[in-house]
Amino acid sequence: MEAVEGTENVESGGGMKDLEGKYLTFTLASEEYGVGILQVREIIGVMEITAVPQTASYIKGVINLRGQIIPILELRIKFGMEPQGYDDRTCIIVVEVQQETGSVQVGMLVDSVSEVLNILEEQIEPPPVFGSTTLDTDNILGMAKIKGKVKILLNIDKVIGKEGVLSQFEEMAGQKASG
Amino acid sequence: MASAERSLSVILDDIALKIMMVEPGDLSIIGELLELADECINSDESKKQPVSVEMAQSFKSVLEQLIMGEVSDSAESYDHLGQCVSLMQEMERSGCEDESITGRFCDHLRQTGYKIDSGKFPVLVADQGAAPKDEEPDTRFLQDRELLHGFIDESVEHLESIENLILELEKNPDDPESINAVFRAFHTIKGTSALVDLDTVNQLAHRIENLLDAVRNGHRKMDSGVADMVLRVSDLLLTMIQNVKDVAEKGLEYYQRFDISVLIEQIDLVEGGGAGMEDGEEETSPTGNISLGEGEVPDFMQDPELLSGFISEAYEHLESIEVHVLELEQDSDNLDIINNIFRPFHTIKGVSGFLNLKTINTLAHTTENLLDDVRNGIRPMSTEIIDVVLDVGDRLRSMVQNISDVLEQGPEAYQPFDISDSVKMIKALQEEGDGAPDISPPPAEEQAKESSETVVEPTPSVSVTVPPPKISQPSKAAFSPKRKVKVQAEIKVNVEKLDSLVNAVGELVIMQAMVHQNPLINDIGEPKLLKDLSQLARITTELQKTAMSMRMVPIRQTFQKMTRLVRDLSKKTGKNVDLIMRGEETEIDRNMVDSIYDPLVHMMRNSVDHGIQVPEERRKNGKSEKGTVTLSAYQKGGNIVIDIQDDGDGVATEKIRTRALERGLITDNDHLTDHEVNNLIFLPGFSTVDKITDVSGRGVGMDVVKKGVEKLRGIVELNSTPGEGSQFLIRLPLTLAIIDGIIVRIGSERYIIPTVAIQESLRPKQENYNSVHSRGEALLIRDQLVPIIRLNRLFGVAADSSDPCEGIVVVVENEDRQRALLVDELLGKQEVVIKSLGGYMKDIKGLAGGTILADGRVGLILDLAGIISASEEMGMTDFPDKMGD
Repeated sequence: MEAVEGTENVESGGGMKDLEGKYLTFTLASEEYGVGILQVREIIGVMEITAVPQTASYIKGVINLRGQIIPILELRIKFGMEPQGYDDRTCIIVVEVQQETGSVQVGMLVDSVSEVLNILEEQIEPPPVFGSTTLDTDNILGMAKIKGKVKILLNIDKVIGKEGVLSQFEEMAGQKASG
Repeated sequence: MASAERSLSVILDDIALKIMMVEPGDLSIIGELLELADECINSDESKKQPVSVEMAQSFKSVLEQLIMGEVSDSAESYDHLGQCVSLMQEMERSGCEDESITGRFCDHLRQTGYKIDSGKFPVLVADQGAAPKDEEPDTRFLQDRELLHGFIDESVEHLESIENLILELEKNPDDPESINAVFRAFHTIKGTSALVDLDTVNQLAHRIENLLDAVRNGHRKMDSGVADMVLRVSDLLLTMIQNVKDVAEKGLEYYQRFDISVLIEQIDLVEGGGAGMEDGEEETSPTGNISLGEGEVPDFMQDPELLSGFISEAYEHLESIEVHVLELEQDSDNLDIINNIFRPFHTIKGVSGFLNLKTINTLAHTTENLLDDVRNGIRPMSTEIIDVVLDVGDRLRSMVQNISDVLEQGPEAYQPFDISDSVKMIKALQEEGDGAPDISPPPAEEQAKESSETVVEPTPSVSVTVPPPKISQPSKAAFSPKRKVKVQAEIKVNVEKLDSLVNAVGELVIMQAMVHQNPLINDIGEPKLLKDLSQLARITTELQKTAMSMRMVPIRQTFQKMTRLVRDLSKKTGKNVDLIMRGEETEIDRNMVDSIYDPLVHMMRNSVDHGIQVPEERRKNGKSEKGTVTLSAYQKGGNIVIDIQDDGDGVATEKIRTRALERGLITDNDHLTDHEVNNLIFLPGFSTVDKITDVSGRGVGMDVVKKGVEKLRGIVELNSTPGEGSQFLIRLPLTLAIIDGIIVRIGSERYIIPTVAIQESLRPKQENYNSVHSRGEALLIRDQLVPIIRLNRLFGVAADSSDPCEGIVVVVENEDRQRALLVDELLGKQEVVIKSLGGYMKDIKGLAGGTILADGRVGLILDLAGIISASEEMGMTDFPDKMGD
C-alpha cells in the first residue's frame, strides 16, 4: 500500500479518549470497518460510474451526485483485496475530507453498510503492529472490540489522501507501450 | 444576588453570559444586568481601580438608558455592550489601566448611541482623551455601513478612472474634458467622504481638488508635476480607502492613521510652483467654481453616463427621504431621522450642482438650508415643514423623471419646472421661525436673494411668473441624436448569489434536456405536451443566455490597469511609448478577469521592455521616437481575441533558435518555420534577453502567459515581422462555464470534444490509412498526413473494433497541430456545462473536466492539448511530428 499523506486528523493526535464516539460500520469481504459519523455525508446505492483515465486503479471513476461530480474509490482495491462484482448490498458511502484547498466529497464503494455504533474509549485499542513491510497501519485509528468482534476504525483523511491521480504518467505510458 | 462578596471576574463572567443571552425587548435580563453592574461597582477589587468603577458605572447608565428607551434596544447595541464587557474582563485580567482598552470601551459605548459624560466619568474620558488623536480611531465613519460600502466601491472606481485620465492628460495636457473629469472625480470623493465622516480623505481630496481647479481655470499649467502629484494622491487615497474597508470588514484593530500633512504641503508647493496663483480656500472652493465653470460646461447633457448615475441615485435618495419623513411624523424630534433626511438632500444638491442641474440644485439647496436650521435647533420641526419636504421630494422626483425622459427621448421631452413657489414657501417657513422683523419682503426680491445665494439664477428678475429656468436653452442646443442614452436601472448583486444562479440554471438546462429526451415522454406523443415541452426548452435557453450574460463584464477595467503599467515601464526604461486601446467594451466572463490579468501584464512588459526600442535606436531605424503598443479586444466567432501589437523590432528569431538549440529544446533536424521558432518562447525557462532587466526577462514570463491562457482554455500565439514589430494573439472562450461539444462514444464510454477545435469528421478509407513501423498511424486527408490518436488506447477502454476503417475519426486542430481522434461513433452536438472533477482529481492530462449528460451520467470533456502531448509521450504517434515538446 502506498504511503499517503493526509491532513493530520485531530483524532490521531491524542489518546483513545479522542476516538470515542459514533461510527458508521461497514464490511469489506469478511472484515468490519468503522468511519467517524461526522465525516459521513450520505449513503447511496451503486449507480453508473464513469471511468476516468490516468487515475489510480482504486479510483473507479466519477458519479453525478445531484449535479456535483464526485470521485468514487473502491476500498477493496485500495486495501489490496480482490475486487468483486456489485450486488444490491453494495453501497457508496459519501464522506467529506478536509484538504488544503477546502473540503472535498469522495464516495467509497463498500460491500455493505452495517450500522451506527457508539464506541467507547475502553473498547478501543491502538492499531496492532504487523511486520513493518506487510501492512501499513497509517490508515487505521484504532481497533474497536465489540461483542467479540473487531472493527477497524479508519482514518478517512489518510485513506482518501491528497490526490487520487497518478502523477507518474510516464509509468503508465510505459505499460501501455509495452502492452 | 450572591450573599458573599464575589470576585470581580466572576461577576464579569456572569454579565458576559447574560449579555450574550439577552434579546431585544427583554427587560428582565437588563434588570439582572443592572444588579450585576452595581455589584461590580461596589466590589472591593473595582474600588482599587477608578477606571474599573467608571467603566462599570458607565455600563450601568447605558443599561438604564436602554430601559428608558434613550439608547436603542437593538441587537446591535447588545453587541457593543458585549464588546464592552469583554474589554472590562480584559482590563480585569491585565490588572492595569490600559488606554487602548478604555478607548475601545468608549467607542463601543458611543456606538450604542450613548453619550459619555466627561463630567461624570473623568478618568475614563481623560484616559481616552490623553491620546485622542493617536490612540483612538475616529470611528464615526462606521456608523452607516451601507453608505460606507457604497462610498468605498464608488471611490475605488473614481480613483481608477482618475489614474487613466491623468495618463490621458499627460499625452494631451490641454484637454479640458479630462481635467474636468479628474476634477469631478475628486469632487465626488470629497463630497461623499464628508458625508461618511472620513475627514482625512476629505481633506486630501479637497486639497487636490483645489489644485485641479487652479489647473482647469488656467491659473496653473497642467504638467508632469501636477500629474505626478495627482497620481500620488490617488494612490494614497486608494490605500486609505482600502484601510477603511479593512476596518469595516475586519474590525478596528486594522485601523491605520495616515499622515497627509507632508503631501498637502507638497501639493501647495506644486500649486505655487505653477503660476504663483494661490487662491484663498473660499475662492477655490468647488461651489464657487461651478458657477465659474458655467461657460465651459453649459448644460447638463455633457456627461450622460454621469447623469444616468445621478438619476438612479436620486431616485434612491428621494425614496429614502420619503420614508424618513413619514417616520418623522411619528417621532418629530428624532435628530437621527432629521439627519437621514438632510443627507440625501445634501447629496442631491452636491451632485446636481456639478451636473449643472440648476433647478434641482436650487430646490435641494433651499430645502437643505431649512433642514439644517431644524437639525441645529434653530427651528422646531413642524407639520408645515414636513409637508414642504414631502412636496419638494415629489417635485424633485418629477424633475429627475423629466431628465431621464430627456436622456431617453431627446430634448423634445424637456419640460421646464417652476420651483419658485416651493422656494418661496420654504423661505417663508424659515423666516417665520426666525421671527425676523422683515416678514414680508416683496416676492421678487426674496427670490433674487435666494438665487444669488445659491448661485443659480443669474438674474434677479425671476419671479413666480417666469416659467422656464435657464437650463432649457443650452441643453437643447447641445443635443445631438447620438447622445441619447438609455437610462438603465442597475442593482448590485452578491457574486455568490450570481454564481449559484448560474449553476442552478445550468442544472435546469440539463434537467430540461433529460425530460425532453426521455423516450417515455416522447412516446406519449400528445401534441399539447410536445408543444409545452418545446416552449419550456425555449424559455430555458433564454434563461440560460440571460444568466450567462449577467456574468459578463467589459474588459475595460483590466485594460485600464495596463495604462499605468505602460506609463511606469516606459519611464523606467527611458522609452517613449504610446498605448492605444481598442475594444475596451468587449465583454468577458467575470471569472476570467482576474486570471487574464497576469498574462496580460507579462505580455505588456514584454512588448514595452523587449519590443519597443529606445528612442535613439528607433531614430536610427527610421522610426518615430515614440513607440506604439496597441492593445485591442474583440469578439471573433466563439472567441474573445486579445491582441497586443508593438511597432518595435520584432522577435529575434535567430537568437531564439540558437538558444533553443543550446537548451536542447529543438534539434538541427527539426526544420521549424520562423513562426514555430518564435513560439518557442512560450516554453518554460526560455529567455533570450541579453541583459536581464528588473522589469522582465528572467525567462519565467512567457510560459506563465501560456499556462495562464491555457487554464482559461485559450490559445496564445506570437507573430513577428522583423523590423516592424510583433504581435501577441490570445484567443479565449466566451465563457468558462459552458462549451459547445460533440459527444463521441468509445465502447461504453462517452466523451465530449470541444467543437471549436474540430475541423471535420469522417470515416477513414483503407487506401488513406498508413502505418509506420506498425506503431505510428496516420491518415491521408486531402494530401496531408494526419497522425491518428486512438483514444481507446490512451484512455484504456475497450473500443468496438480495432480497425480504424470501422470507426470514425474526428480531425482536430490544436496549436497548429492536426490529429485524427479515432472513436466508435458520434452521438451528437450539445452545449455542456463544464464542471470540475473536484480537487481530488484535478489536472488529469487530457481532460478539461466533466459534465452531466442528458441521462444524468457524467461525461468527460477532452482537453486536446493534453491528449496530443500525452499521445506523444506514449509514443503512439511519432509520425510527422513537427513540434515535439
